[in-house]
Amino acid sequence: MLSGLLLVPLLVFMPEKGLWTRWRRRRQNMLRVWMEDALKALYNCEYKGISCDVGGLAGRLGISQDRVLQVLQKLRDQSLVKTEGEQVLLTRLGRSYALRIIRIHRIWESYLANETGMAETDWHRLADLREHELSMEEVNALAGRLGNPVFDPHGDPIPSATGELPRPKGMPLRDLPEGKEGIIIHLEDEPPEVYAQLVAMGLYPGMVVRMLEKDDKRLRFEAHGEELLLAPLLSSNVTVRALEEEDRVFDAGLSLLEVPLGEEVEVAGISRACRGQQRRRLMDLGIVRGNHIKPLFRAPGGEPTAYDVLGASIALREEQAKHIFVKRIQNDK
Amino acid sequence: MTNSECKSCPVHHEAHLRALGIDMSRYDFVVALAGNPNTGKSTLFNALTGLRQHTGNWPGKTVARAEGAFAFGESRYKVVDLPGTYSLLSTSTDEEVARDFILFGKPDVTVIVVDATRLQRSLNLVLQILEITDRAVLALNLMDEAGRHGIEVDVRGLSKALGVPVVPMVARSREGLPTLLQMIDEVATGAYRCKPRRLKMERRVVEEMVCSLEEKLAEVFPGVPNLRWVALRLLEGDQSMMEAVSEGHLGAYEALPESEPEEVLALAQELRWQLGTDFHDELMESIFSEAAKIAGKVVRMEGKKEAFSLDRAIDRVVTSRLWGFPIMLGLLALVFWLTIVGANYPSAMLSGLLVERGHPFLRDLFLSVGAPAWLTGLLIDGAYLSAAWVVSVMLPPMAIFFPLFTLLEDFGYLPRVSFNMDRLFKRVGAHGKQALTMSMGFGCNAAGVVATRVIDSPRERLIAIITNNFALCNGRWPLQILLATVFIGAVAPAHWAGVISAAAVVGVAVLGILFSLAVSWALSRTVLKGEASAFSLELPPYRPPRFWETLYTSFIERTLIVLWRAVVFALPAGMVIWLLANVHVGGLPLAEHFIRAADPVAMIFGLNGVILLAYLVAIPANELVIPTILMLTVMHLGMEGVAPGQGVLFELEDAQGIAEIFTAGGWTLLTAVNVMLFSLLHNPCSTTIYTIYKETGSAKWTALATFLPIGLGLLVCLLVALVAG
Ligand SMILES: Nc1nc2c(ncn2[C@@H]2O[C@H](COP(=O)(O)OP(=O)(O)O)[C@@H](O)[C@H]2O)c(=O)[nH]1
Ligand SMILES: [Mg+2]
Repeated sequence: MLSGLLLVPLLVFMPEKGLWTRWRRRRQNMLRVWMEDALKALYNCEYKGISCDVGGLAGRLGISQDRVLQVLQKLRDQSLVKTEGEQVLLTRLGRSYALRIIRIHRIWESYLANETGMAETDWHRLADLREHELSMEEVNALAGRLGNPVFDPHGDPIPSATGELPRPKGMPLRDLPEGKEGIIIHLEDEPPEVYAQLVAMGLYPGMVVRMLEKDDKRLRFEAHGEELLLAPLLSSNVTVRALEEEDRVFDAGLSLLEVPLGEEVEVAGISRACRGQQRRRLMDLGIVRGNHIKPLFRAPGGEPTAYDVLGASIALREEQAKHIFVKRIQNDK
Repeated sequence: MTNSECKSCPVHHEAHLRALGIDMSRYDFVVALAGNPNTGKSTLFNALTGLRQHTGNWPGKTVARAEGAFAFGESRYKVVDLPGTYSLLSTSTDEEVARDFILFGKPDVTVIVVDATRLQRSLNLVLQILEITDRAVLALNLMDEAGRHGIEVDVRGLSKALGVPVVPMVARSREGLPTLLQMIDEVATGAYRCKPRRLKMERRVVEEMVCSLEEKLAEVFPGVPNLRWVALRLLEGDQSMMEAVSEGHLGAYEALPESEPEEVLALAQELRWQLGTDFHDELMESIFSEAAKIAGKVVRMEGKKEAFSLDRAIDRVVTSRLWGFPIMLGLLALVFWLTIVGANYPSAMLSGLLVERGHPFLRDLFLSVGAPAWLTGLLIDGAYLSAAWVVSVMLPPMAIFFPLFTLLEDFGYLPRVSFNMDRLFKRVGAHGKQALTMSMGFGCNAAGVVATRVIDSPRERLIAIITNNFALCNGRWPLQILLATVFIGAVAPAHWAGVISAAAVVGVAVLGILFSLAVSWALSRTVLKGEASAFSLELPPYRPPRFWETLYTSFIERTLIVLWRAVVFALPAGMVIWLLANVHVGGLPLAEHFIRAADPVAMIFGLNGVILLAYLVAIPANELVIPTILMLTVMHLGMEGVAPGQGVLFELEDAQGIAEIFTAGGWTLLTAVNVMLFSLLHNPCSTTIYTIYKETGSAKWTALATFLPIGLGLLVCLLVALVAG
């Protein structure tokens, strides 16, 4: 009995492994996570040229204003931020810290997109967790393996290892004039629900859209030969750039899946949704814009289908063929 | 002898080729063989070196690089057969091996082996290699097939377009080999100076960016010949290239002392942001459009008939709804039938030689020289006997099964099986090629695991490795057949006995396939959920296999290697078995202690202590299970007069005698059924476990592949025991 009573405080206050120490450590960890998230949020405001106050931060981080004040105090103590009136601003030190976290986040997203089979909607959430755990060395090594990506899968530039980031380009989708074409250069992945909706609509960076009509309530635009509707509010999560003369675009009207056996067609491009190893494999096999491809025959179960690509028979599954866009070959005679 | 003299006497030249095998003690030049998969690199390698690298009609067989040597004229050459790749711009390990060798291995000559029937497709790689090196020779292989398909290539035009020598050849029959050797020699010695064609990006803005980076590089690394390639690699973010630049040396070239390599990297970074995400796509497009231009000029199709129309016709039949599966099953059944029937006789002969004659002979020999009984027991009754057993049971079926399989492979039929089966395997998250590695597993699981190398997607390959053990390998067939005959056939009416026991064995094998599918499904949804996957399956052209060559290589490569490993593992196992049966503690053999302790537990699973012990000691080779069970049962019961010797492995010819031993050992129909099930569902043999470890390089996956089947086996046996009880 007595020993049992002695055991309780021991369990709680034991150095290193005691509950108290663990709890303290967790608290410190949480605090660090909030600090890092706050820096990231501040950097985003700065990048987009909008101002950021305590209320806004609380909303973005999902914590109370009191907590935000506490976090900011900590950040000030370490000279990572400074306040000017209501506004909270990053110091140089704070900015480079934020860029480091953003780099880790975006590299991890690239890793998930290119090297794993994780669902697209999970990338951001998983990266949000990992960004506080990985060291810069680990991330640089990972980046090296991935071919040092400079854009993440959402089209955001990734800060370089030395902490540089290019100036933002483009405009929100709603600023695209009616009748004009633009290229999606970025899909904002926050909040996740909105991002999920954009992905579900089939939007992706690199996609060409044409604005058909817009008013206060909705935008009507065309992508991949389909008409899409979007609320103007959501459309601020889609950044586009006006299409230029020399831009490479492919009219992604017809997918290879729809081509009947025996019809030779020309490859127009591979959808951005097909990434990483998978995408490179297809291109190495000769499925590249301009080359011809012809469905030859199907397996007894109806799938896969064998295609003639530059004289070789290559079997592709439906989900691959779906991502390959083709053009019918005009028969001159 | 001067070069000009010899151009007119090619036969003379071939005489100057001396294959040196793997003797690479001294060489003057290094030759690399690069090219797309399945274009005849290994065939050429073998022709040059006299070695016998496996060549097969299936992309992706040469996994690591092979090395050999030959001498020609005055010079000695080292040859390196690189893994086949389609490109040097991606990140797969094969490509890295090839790329790093061409770039950093600094071969004196790179021979690019190209498929003349698909020139345009091969040119992708050719143009990439010519970016890196200017000492290359193009071997335009498979000219015989090109001729058959009415494809004509303007060799001189191609050589002019590419700026390197082009040699038309047929590697299989060594046609064109003398000229190739001649050109290799000329390029190596510098007598021929290549002026390789260099790439240009299609879009002007992009081309300007590449040029600006190239210029910046030239400021820092003046004189480096392939700066454009370096620039392209930097724009693709190649880590090793970035490191080389930042450390200030590109291969043998050093950065200028005052220059700032970091500025190059900073510019590259800036350009990459401007280029956006599509640079790789654009690069590939530029290469392929160049390839199309060249091919358009030099390739001519003769006649109206479409090339490969015969291939396509065969394909339509073997993949048709009506005939696809019947042909597949028919061929598979034929292979099995030939294996089982064909193996009977040699197996009996080997067993007669090694076990019935060899064993007593060696035993007497040992005793006659006065070796102590324990040594004779340990070495002869233990190690020798179990190894002899493994050889006589394993060798004949494998020596028939694998060559047959390899013939189908060389013909090009196997990829069609994957094609037909892919839909089924896709449903369980696996690759169609798993159908093949599984079939291979029927011969030997270790060989099946090695064969998964043809699956180039990491996730699907792991699935295929982990589930291969569910394919009932031929070391386990004898046990199935024996128990089915003795127990299951016995309960059936006499004239049905044969059919029913055969059906039981097939049933177990089919159950194995079902387990394999179910486990694949479960794995791909649980532990392997997030693993990357990339499907691709190429259907190579049909090619008449070279019969004897195939028999020889498949025998050496598959059969002997597997057998050797099995024997190595069986030797110590035999000693352990002998010790267990012959070392007495407290008046009883060690085995007896185990059997008594394990019996109550084993009964729960409808097995017994003897069986558990037999499976434990037979981990090295499944073939040992039956002899061990018989020996232990006889020992356990203290039966007299049935066995050749106490505590020695044996097997009986007649089913009646075996049945008596089993019945005396307390076996029932339930025991037999559970042993059959457990034989299907237990850990892989040690050879396979070792192979899994070597192929995956991971203790985690090896452990999973080892323990998952045992867990399943015990579970299934428990369920059957409960139902039957
Ligand atoms: N008809 C013909 N077949 C060839 C020739 N060269 C190689 N082959 C066959 O092509 C297949 C692939 O050869 P292999 O050397 O394994 O190609 P690798 O993958 O490039 O190493 C094998 O079946 C060879 O027998 C050739 O010149 N003519
Ligand atoms: Mg090879």
